[in-house]
Amino acid sequence: MTASSVQPVPSATAPPVVVARGLTKTYDTGGSQVHALAGVDVDFHRGAFTAIMGPSGSGKSTLMHCLAGLDVPTSGTVHLGRTQITGLRDGELTLLRRDRIGFIFQSFNLLPMLTAEQNILLPSQIARRKVDRQRFDHIIDVVGLRDRLGHLPAKLSGGQQQRVAVARALLNAPEVVYADEPTGNLDSRSGAEILSFLRDSAEDLDQTIVMVTHDPVAASYADRVVFLRDGRLVDEVTDPDPELVSARLLKLEA
Amino acid sequence: MLRTTLAGLRLHTSRYVTTVLAILLGVMFVSGTMVFADTLNANYEESVMGSAGSVDAIATPAEAETGEDGAHAGPEPLTADDLAGIRALPEVAEADGLVRGQAVLLDADGRALGFTPPAAVSIEGASRFDAGRGELPSTGDEIALATSTAEQSGFGVGDTVTVLGPDREEHEFEVTGLVNFGVDPSFGISGAVVFAPDTVEEMTGATGYSEIDAIAAEGYTDEQVADAVSGVLGSSADVSTGEEYGLEMAEGVGAQTEIFRVALLLFAFIAMFVAGIVIYNTFAILIAQRQRELALLRCVGAKRSQVFRSVLLESAVVGLVASALGVLAGVGIGVAGAALAAPAMGADGGVPVVVTQAAVLTGLGVGTVVTVLSAMVPALRATRVAPLAALRTSTTASGIEKGTGWFRVVFGLVTFAVAGGLVALTQISGPTQMGLVVVTAAALVSFTGVVVLGPLLVRWIVRLVGLPLRRVGVASMLAVDNSVRSPRRAATAMIALTVGATLITGYSVVSASTESTLNRMLEEQFPVDYQITPQFSMEEPTGAQDASTAEGGDDAASAPGEGADAVADTGTPEFGFVPEQVRRDLEDEPSVGAVFGQRGGYVEDEEHGLISLVAFTGARMGVDLAMGTVEGDLSDAGPGRIALVEGHADGVRVGDTYTLANGDAVVDLEVAAIVEPGAQVFHGYLHEDDLAALFPDVTRDEAVLVRGAQDADPAELREAVYGAVEDDPTLQVMSVAEIKEQFSDIMDIAFYTITAMLGLAIVIAVFGISNTMALSVLERTRESALLRALGLARGQLRRMLSVEAVLLCLIGAGIGIVLGVVFGWAAAASVLPGLVFSLPAGQIAVFIAVAVLAGLLASILPGRRAAGTSITGALASE
Repeated sequence: MTASSVQPVPSATAPPVVVARGLTKTYDTGGSQVHALAGVDVDFHRGAFTAIMGPSGSGKSTLMHCLAGLDVPTSGTVHLGRTQITGLRDGELTLLRRDRIGFIFQSFNLLPMLTAEQNILLPSQIARRKVDRQRFDHIIDVVGLRDRLGHLPAKLSGGQQQRVAVARALLNAPEVVYADEPTGNLDSRSGAEILSFLRDSAEDLDQTIVMVTHDPVAASYADRVVFLRDGRLVDEVTDPDPELVSARLLKLEA
Repeated sequence: MLRTTLAGLRLHTSRYVTTVLAILLGVMFVSGTMVFADTLNANYEESVMGSAGSVDAIATPAEAETGEDGAHAGPEPLTADDLAGIRALPEVAEADGLVRGQAVLLDADGRALGFTPPAAVSIEGASRFDAGRGELPSTGDEIALATSTAEQSGFGVGDTVTVLGPDREEHEFEVTGLVNFGVDPSFGISGAVVFAPDTVEEMTGATGYSEIDAIAAEGYTDEQVADAVSGVLGSSADVSTGEEYGLEMAEGVGAQTEIFRVALLLFAFIAMFVAGIVIYNTFAILIAQRQRELALLRCVGAKRSQVFRSVLLESAVVGLVASALGVLAGVGIGVAGAALAAPAMGADGGVPVVVTQAAVLTGLGVGTVVTVLSAMVPALRATRVAPLAALRTSTTASGIEKGTGWFRVVFGLVTFAVAGGLVALTQISGPTQMGLVVVTAAALVSFTGVVVLGPLLVRWIVRLVGLPLRRVGVASMLAVDNSVRSPRRAATAMIALTVGATLITGYSVVSASTESTLNRMLEEQFPVDYQITPQFSMEEPTGAQDASTAEGGDDAASAPGEGADAVADTGTPEFGFVPEQVRRDLEDEPSVGAVFGQRGGYVEDEEHGLISLVAFTGARMGVDLAMGTVEGDLSDAGPGRIALVEGHADGVRVGDTYTLANGDAVVDLEVAAIVEPGAQVFHGYLHEDDLAALFPDVTRDEAVLVRGAQDADPAELREAVYGAVEDDPTLQVMSVAEIKEQFSDIMDIAFYTITAMLGLAIVIAVFGISNTMALSVLERTRESALLRALGLARGQLRRMLSVEAVLLCLIGAGIGIVLGVVFGWAAAASVLPGLVFSLPAGQIAVFIAVAVLAGLLASILPGRRAAGTSITGALASE
């Protein structure tokens, strides 16, 4: 167990925003048990942009789902700020996601019948929250969607759609944003734009971001990369560059 | 390919559940109707054959020549000599006659029972009737009642009943038994009492036999007996074997069940039509969702025709399975229906179920064929899927349909214009027989318009209704957006509901308007409170006077022409009348404001045809009795003047001279007014003096109309009216309030029956909407997961679907209500002159409430499925 736990980088001031301890997730697949997570301890600090990497089936998506309250771990705890989210009921989890977490998915991120603006404002509407127009304008300008706000997703390019999703995730200033392969479906130029937005927002807006990816280039935009294999954290790199990440990844898969 | 199809079916069974239910319900209706009608028919046949088959020959007096107007001279009854002759035949073991007259039976309140007195007969020895319970009467103070009469009067075995003799004197009898006359139409309406053989002649004055039944001696067949009897009676009687007689009667009642069957099948047709729409929509959606799967099939080498056949085969399997289930359910419903309805329809006893091959095959055939036909267009669409579609990313989820073409808009608007023109045409031309046909055609045309414009209508209405809904909350905002995502799909689902809503609303408008129209006619033309008429006699006098019975046609309480004492004065036909004393008594009552008499007669000549004439004695025309006039003034009608009903005026104008002749009596009258044709069947209104000149025999009132004094206490008035008729129990008293109530009851029963029949079409449509929702939810699984991830609560997700379903139902019902109101009005106005349009607001409010409820119900299962899906699972699966 000790081998799989990685000491978090000590942060100068605040306690970590997200803390996971001893997370396990076991699936029963017709008699045989599959350990998607086999005891994970991990912390994420405020304003940090962290990438979770690992080969296919290493459990990185499961880890993110458990951290975000989308999935329930078999054992272990997850705290978001002072709230322990493991053990919360569905209704409470829904409120938690609504008010304190932002999401960016690989694809199918937007509702096709809503315009770009409506999609961005949707979480606020669900929560009946007043929109901070200043922040809205700032984010729209940063992601460059000003002249696309009235368009339906079908009329937007893949990169533009993902920018809408980023704007939606950032608008509420959630405590943490989870991004699941945000550039998986994009060409490299659009992908680079999205990753830059994420990194900038972590720096400028002090936004905590956790990103799952298998792309070393994408991971290199993060401040820190943690590596997962067979449901355990096995390695960690700070201030990564693509070559370093690729090398570590290759080592894991070997 | 076959294996692929069947494997696909097995995999997607759950998607077909509601479709199967829709087909099942439709087929159930078809098969159920067949089983019900067949069973009822068999039951009738059995009861008829059972009674008629118990004797070998039945002789009835030959009908005299039938008159032109359908009236017939009473047949000459068979005599005692005839009976003696039959009894003497070697072929006959036993023969007896049935004496038939009629007698007034008093109910528990001492008033005559029914509008017509029951038939009074004797039954003895050889007869096709027998006591079902108790004993047949054997002495002069015993009586048996027909089961229908017993039911109507509430009397049973052991009770003492009062029957009026030929001179209206009261006789008491003890009920000893009940006789079931079954469906024999000659006893159907009036009911019957059974006396001992001698008593019947005493009580009714009837002589001779209306029927002689004979039983064969040993060794002779029924045909031999019938031939022998026929030989004795000659042309004075119709003789048939018991079996022939029964078959003939069964045919008569069978015709009733056939009408019933056709009416029910009409509703079944509507249900199947709606089911067809639902099936079409289901397959259309399934094909759209399976685009990639179909494209993959094409990629691996399936030909277009194979894809087409695969889809059709799928529909055939679904249709056949659902129809088989439907037939089973239909047999159940038919049996239950027959068991429940048989007693009410005159068939009794245990109901043996009749499931004919035709019922089963029709159900299976109709269900399967409708399913396959409905799937035809989606199957064709499936063949157009390009193989390349397999390689593209999923197109279904992003599926926002393209806009609607101009062609659709123009075509739709043209249909509305045509329908509007047709309706306008019927309104201008006034009530004609073609009117209803034209209105129906207009309704069909505009329905086509709704189908064509459906997607646009949905979009427009949602846009309008959506404005306030968006403000309510995020769930309804999303619902509004969702409901216009695939307007074509939504429109088809909604149109299934529109069919039922249109028909029900249309009928309710017709019903309410008819009621209010007739009520107003009653109020305007007969501003009276009570009507007193003699009991209607079945023993009709001969001649043209018969036609006066038609008066009862439109207004149940109008004076029937024949008198209660026609039986007493056998031979001389005479109008029934209300005794003068009754009128005089009423005039003396302080609570009575006015009393009018009604008397009338018929004139038939070559120039005018048959003309019914009426005079209201003691009434001022245009003041006491009002009518809409086309020309002239009704209050000008007085002695020497006549008011003619439009349509019978034959070009005669106000001021012209109108000559009427009845035998020697000839009267020249000046036309004072032409009045609108109302609900009445009279053709001309005369002054009583002119009527007396024309019909010297008519000196008494065939009905008395009573109007209460102003501010009279209704209870006092009622007491006065009933007091006046106390001495004559055969007089029928009807209050106008009662007439209205009775009429209203009849209309209500018809409305509820029709609504129940159409209800099934509504249920099927709701299944369709539920199915559309469920399939949409399936399509939007990832979307739902995304919404949940973004913080939408399960309840909100369910509410979103509820609002969407309710919106769909409301639009469907709303369009149906609008169409129903318009065409219901048009239909009623094209038939009823002077229609008083009445909007059944209460009923329409109920329809709307039902639509909301239906939407909520339709969204339950899809909502559960959407809310129950795991977020991570849905997000992960591509």
